[in-house]
Amino acid sequence: MNPIILGIESSCDDTSAAIIKGDIILSNVVAGQKVHEEYGGVVPELASRAHQQNIIPVVHKAMKDAGVKSGDVSAVAFTRGPGLMGSLLVGTSFAKGFALALDIPLIEVNHLQAHVLAHFIQEPDQKHEVPEFPFLCLLVSGGNSQIVLVHDFLHMEIIGQTIDDAAGEAFDKCAKVIGLPYPGGPLIDKLAQEGDPEAFEFSKPRIANFDYSFSGLKTSFLYFLRDNVKKDPDFIERHKNDLCASLQKTIVDILMDKLIAAAKKTGIKEIALAGGVSANSGLRQAFMEGEEKYGWNIYIPKFGYTTDNAAMIAITGLFKYQKKEFVGQEVAPFARMAL
Amino acid sequence: MEHSFIIHSEKDVERVASEAVPFLKEHKVVAFYGDMGVGKTTFIKGVCKVLGVEDPVTSPSFAIVNEYEGNDNQVIFHFDFYRLKDVSEVFDMGYEDYFFSDHICLIEWPEKIASVLPDDRLDAYLSENEDGSRNLKIKSAV
Repeated sequence: MNPIILGIESSCDDTSAAIIKGDIILSNVVAGQKVHEEYGGVVPELASRAHQQNIIPVVHKAMKDAGVKSGDVSAVAFTRGPGLMGSLLVGTSFAKGFALALDIPLIEVNHLQAHVLAHFIQEPDQKHEVPEFPFLCLLVSGGNSQIVLVHDFLHMEIIGQTIDDAAGEAFDKCAKVIGLPYPGGPLIDKLAQEGDPEAFEFSKPRIANFDYSFSGLKTSFLYFLRDNVKKDPDFIERHKNDLCASLQKTIVDILMDKLIAAAKKTGIKEIALAGGVSANSGLRQAFMEGEEKYGWNIYIPKFGYTTDNAAMIAITGLFKYQKKEFVGQEVAPFARMAL
Repeated sequence: MEHSFIIHSEKDVERVASEAVPFLKEHKVVAFYGDMGVGKTTFIKGVCKVLGVEDPVTSPSFAIVNEYEGNDNQVIFHFDFYRLKDVSEVFDMGYEDYFFSDHICLIEWPEKIASVLPDDRLDAYLSENEDGSRNLKIKSAV
């Protein structure tokens, strides 16, 4: 019989719970925190407080939506890290209590690994194609930009990563500079549709191997604006769409150049995208072009499984359940956790 | 105590960092002031390199705090309070556990939490010169 896994995610700003039966998703509930928008970012104190308020209602709703009672649950999987310590503690403590009360196995999950394994979540009504091992996964989010070589469900290695800022951070910080509200990434994407991606040229980093750097782009974007605003105080307002389009193209080019190089070097043609920035239309388009240009088989998960969510925690929990990789009650969250 | 350094280029960061590290070690908590893009994270990367950190030193804007390990298992905390709006928001993350841990704390955007910064800290000011080089001024807060 297929195990039923409860997944819990609370690493950053969203509290989420999900139920899967085998690899079939039965429910995935995310309680976002509207509070952080007015603060221009994720706020640690507010985040952990909201998690405390959200965790029980979210789990309750996930079980109800799935038609599952607590006695049916085979194991509970939770995000152990990386993330904000205060936020991780809420999910970890809940999961430990739940496992102890029901005397079921407890499974720790690495949030980054879960982002990659989100590709294996199946819907009840139709099966979709999943990547074959080994595959490459470009993981891009607010806090991550990395290329992961995935050997197996639980065996993966980072072959390239940012040496300073994440791609999502570059989007959000540059958005703030041109006066867009948080989160700036989606807004840049929207305005970019109306702009000319070739209007301005921003320098690209020269970094060895498959690593990324976005700090220099942020600085050059900032200085470019500063110089032009000196000459024309309305420069940003008058060129907003072109600025967004050019910035987006630069970020996407940087991301794709390294992915293409990694695919060539490894000879792998199974290529996957993961993380919240995969919603960016410019990146999606460039990624999909790889199918024709380089003969890739490409995989992009449903949007709901790319941002922080518990469905990906639950599916990772399933693979660990099958290997009996359980942890005891002494487990503690870990803010900085490598793959 | 007050010292000034000129950082001529990005390649020069490590040289200046190695000169500044003895002062940083003396104070443990170091607040880095300077505009966005002036090179706070870049300078901190240099400091961490001098301290023997081998892990990637990346911007903690998203995570708020990164933890590294340097030579002799010394722990280094790297903060970025850019996103905070109000000082009350650091109370729940247990900032005392970090600042009074006796480990080195390197802080970006300390302005956001000015009232809880320890008095015995070192203040470091980064600014851009006309020719694009950077000026680093360090001085004891009190």
